[in-house]
Amino acid sequence: MSAVAVARPLRQPTTHAQPRRHLEVVPTRAQRRARPRMLPALVTIGGIGVILLAQLLLSIVIADGAYQVSSLQSAKHDAQLQQHALSEQLDLLASPQHLAANAEALGMVASGSGLYLDAKTGAVTGSGGAAGGSILGSGDQVSNVLLDGTPLVTPAATGPGTTGTATTADAPEGSQTSTDAGAGGAGQDPQTPGLLPSPNTH
Amino acid sequence: MPRRRLSLTVIAVFAIVSVFVVRLVDIQLVQAAQLTKDADSRQVRTVTTYGVRGDIVDSNGVVLADSVDRFDITASPKNVSPEGFVRLNKDGTKTKVALTDAIAEIAQLTGADQQQLYTALTKDPTSDFVYLVKAVKLSVFDKVKALKIPWVYSEPHPARSYPNGAVAGNLVGFVGTDGPQAGTELTQNPCLNGVNGTSTYETSADGVRLPGSTVVTKPAVDGGTVTLTIDSNLQWFAQQTLAQQAQATGSDWGTAMVVRVSDGHIMVDADYPSVDPNDRNTVGVDALGARSFSSPYEPGSIMKPATVAGLVDKGLVTATTHVEVPARFTDGLPAGTVIKDAEWHGDVHMTVAGVIMNSSNIGIAELTKLESEKDRYANLRAFGFGSKTTVNFLGESKGYVANPATVDAVTTVTQQFGQGISATSAQVASMYQAIGNDGRKVPLTLVQSCTAADGTVSYPNAGPTTQVVSPFAAQQVRAMMETVTTQGYIHRLITIPGYRIASKTGTAQVADGTGKYGNDYIVSVAGLIPADKPQYAVIVTLAKPDTIKTSAAAAPGYATIMKQVIKTFRIQPSTTPAADPPVAW
Repeated sequence: MSAVAVARPLRQPTTHAQPRRHLEVVPTRAQRRARPRMLPALVTIGGIGVILLAQLLLSIVIADGAYQVSSLQSAKHDAQLQQHALSEQLDLLASPQHLAANAEALGMVASGSGLYLDAKTGAVTGSGGAAGGSILGSGDQVSNVLLDGTPLVTPAATGPGTTGTATTADAPEGSQTSTDAGAGGAGQDPQTPGLLPSPNTH
Repeated sequence: MPRRRLSLTVIAVFAIVSVFVVRLVDIQLVQAAQLTKDADSRQVRTVTTYGVRGDIVDSNGVVLADSVDRFDITASPKNVSPEGFVRLNKDGTKTKVALTDAIAEIAQLTGADQQQLYTALTKDPTSDFVYLVKAVKLSVFDKVKALKIPWVYSEPHPARSYPNGAVAGNLVGFVGTDGPQAGTELTQNPCLNGVNGTSTYETSADGVRLPGSTVVTKPAVDGGTVTLTIDSNLQWFAQQTLAQQAQATGSDWGTAMVVRVSDGHIMVDADYPSVDPNDRNTVGVDALGARSFSSPYEPGSIMKPATVAGLVDKGLVTATTHVEVPARFTDGLPAGTVIKDAEWHGDVHMTVAGVIMNSSNIGIAELTKLESEKDRYANLRAFGFGSKTTVNFLGESKGYVANPATVDAVTTVTQQFGQGISATSAQVASMYQAIGNDGRKVPLTLVQSCTAADGTVSYPNAGPTTQVVSPFAAQQVRAMMETVTTQGYIHRLITIPGYRIASKTGTAQVADGTGKYGNDYIVSVAGLIPADKPQYAVIVTLAKPDTIKTSAAAAPGYATIMKQVIKTFRIQPSTTPAADPPVAW
C-alpha cells in the first residue's frame, strides 16, 4: 500500500471577524462641481494681489517718471533759452560792423582787386593791385547800438617766441595761461595750448 | 404699533435723502459752473504760449531781424514781508535778507531804480502782481532767479532784435510796441507773424505745477522766415561807402543800389542816412524807410540811355548815327526858352554815342524830333517810369512822367533827358537792369521767399517780364555807355583796370520850390558790369552835395562799390576790348 498524500482543504479560519464594509455617500456630479476648489481660488486671489501690487508699483514709477519728464522738459526749456541767448550773441558778433572793426583793430586791411588763374591754360587775368586800405576810414558809419560796450579783440601779450594769440578782453583769466607756460619752461619751445603746432621752415 | 414706527422711519429716511438730493442737484447742476470755475481758479493756471515771430534773413541766411527772449521780472507785494526773508544758501546755511537788501540786489543786477522798486512793492500790499523790471536778458534774469527771493516771479517777454544794426535797416523796418511799423516787418507781417496759443496746467495747494497736467487748449503757431534778396555784407559795404562819400561831399542824402541783371534781385539798397532799427531815434523821420523807393527826384542825364534805347529799338538811330549839335536848342519851344548843354560849345558833330558820352541835352533834344511824342512817352513808361516797381515797398512812389495829352512843349523834350520827370532810384535801377539784360525787364525783387514754420516755401508774385527794347538796341546803348567810362569827363574816377564797364552820369538841377531850378543838384552815376555781358547794375545817387556839384561827387563811391561787387561776386576780367564806337564825325 502506498501512502497517498491527500491535501485537505483548510478550514476557513473562524477566529477572524468579518471586516465591516466601508460605506460612503458618493457626491453626485453636480455636488462635486459645486464644491469650492482651493487651487483656483488661491491663484485668483494671488493674481489679484500681484496685479494690485504691480499697479501700485507702476503708478509709483509713472508718477516718478512724470516728475522726471517734467524736470527734463524744464531743463530742455532752459537749454533752449540758453541756445537762443547764445545764438543772439553770435549773430551780433558776426555782424559786419563788429568784424570790420576787429579786423582793422588787428591791423588788417581790405584786399585789392583779385587775380584769376585759369587752371586750364595757366593764364593769370586781372590787374591785381595794392591792398585797398582801411574800409572804416573815418569810422563806422553803419550804426549798431547793440555793439555798444562790446570789447574789440586785442592781441594778447605774448613772451618772445610765442605765437600771438588773441583773447577777448572779457575772457576768463584761465585762458591766458600761454604766457606763463612760455616764461616758465626755459629752453623749451613755448607751446600755446589750443593752437596747432606749426613746423619750423627755413 | 411697529407698523407706525416703520412708516415714521421710512418718512424720516426719505426726508433725509431728499435733503441730500436737493443739495446734490444744487451742487452738481445749479452751481456747477460757478464751483468749477472757483476750483479752477485755485488749481488750474492758464498760460500763454508764444508763437515766435519769424526771422528776416538775407539771401545768404544771415539774420537781419530776430525774435529774442526777454523776461519781465514781476513780484507779488502780498507776499512781501517787511522783515525780509530767509535765504537757503547752497552750502545749507541760512541767511536772513532784509527787504531793502533784496531790493538793492535786484536793482544792482537790472539797473533799475531802488526807490521805484520799493514803491512798486509797497504801494498796494494786497496786490498779487506788479512789474518790477521789464525785458531783461537771460543772463540778468538767471542772476535774479538765483537770488531766490520768494516773492519774485517772472514772465516771458518776446522781443525783436536786429543783430546787424543799420545794415539794411531801411529795408527790414522795425517792430514797435504796437506791432510792426515799417519796412519788411510791416509789409511781410502776414508771413512773419506768429499766433500765440494757450495751455493750462493744474497746481497743488502750495502752487507746485502738477506733472502731466498740462493741456494745450490752443497750439501756438510760429511765424515764417522772410528771405530778402539782399547780400548783407555788400549792403554794409555800400552803406559805409555811401555814408563816407555823402559826408565828404556834404550831401543831404544818398542812395546806392546793386541789382542782379539776370533776375532783377536787389542785392544792395543802401540809404544815407540810414536807420538802426534797434534805436529809431538816431535819425529823422524821413530816414526811417527806404528813400530809394519813396523819394522820387528829377534824375537828369542818367535817363538818356532810356531815350536812346527807344530810338535804336525803332530803327531810327544806331550808335554811329550822325547828329549835328548846335550851340542851343530852341525848336518848337516857347519864345525865350532855350535848352543848353552843361558846357558851352559851338556847332559840333557828334555821333549818338557822342551825345551819350558828352551827355548833351541839345543832342537828345535833336534826337527827339525823330520820334513821336506818344512813342517817346510809351518808351519811358515801358521802362517802368511813372509806375511803382513790383517790390511795392512801403510808401513807394510811382514818380511822374508827363502825359502827351497834357504835357507842355518844354517838358515833352526835357523829360527825355531827365528834367521835368521824376523817378525813384529803384526805377532807375530797374531801367538799367533792362538795358543790361538785353532789353528784357525783369521785375525788381526784394523779398525772395517766405518759409512757413512747417517748411512750405512761398514766393511772392513777381509780375511779368517784358521785352522793353530789342537786344540789339540794348547792346548799342551799352556800347555808347562804355565811352562814358573810357572817355567821359569822370573816366579817371570810374575806370577799373581789366573790366569793361558801361556807365552814365547824371547831374540834375533840383527845383527850388518856386517853379525854378535852384543851385542844388542831385548827382548820380549808374552802370553795368561787365559791359559785354552785364551781371550787375550799380547806381549811386547823392542829393545836394556842397563841395562838388557834378556827378564827380558820386563817382568815387560808384567805383568803390563797383570794385566790391567784382570781389563779392567774383566777376572775371573782360577778355575783349571796349566797344568804343566813334563819338564824333
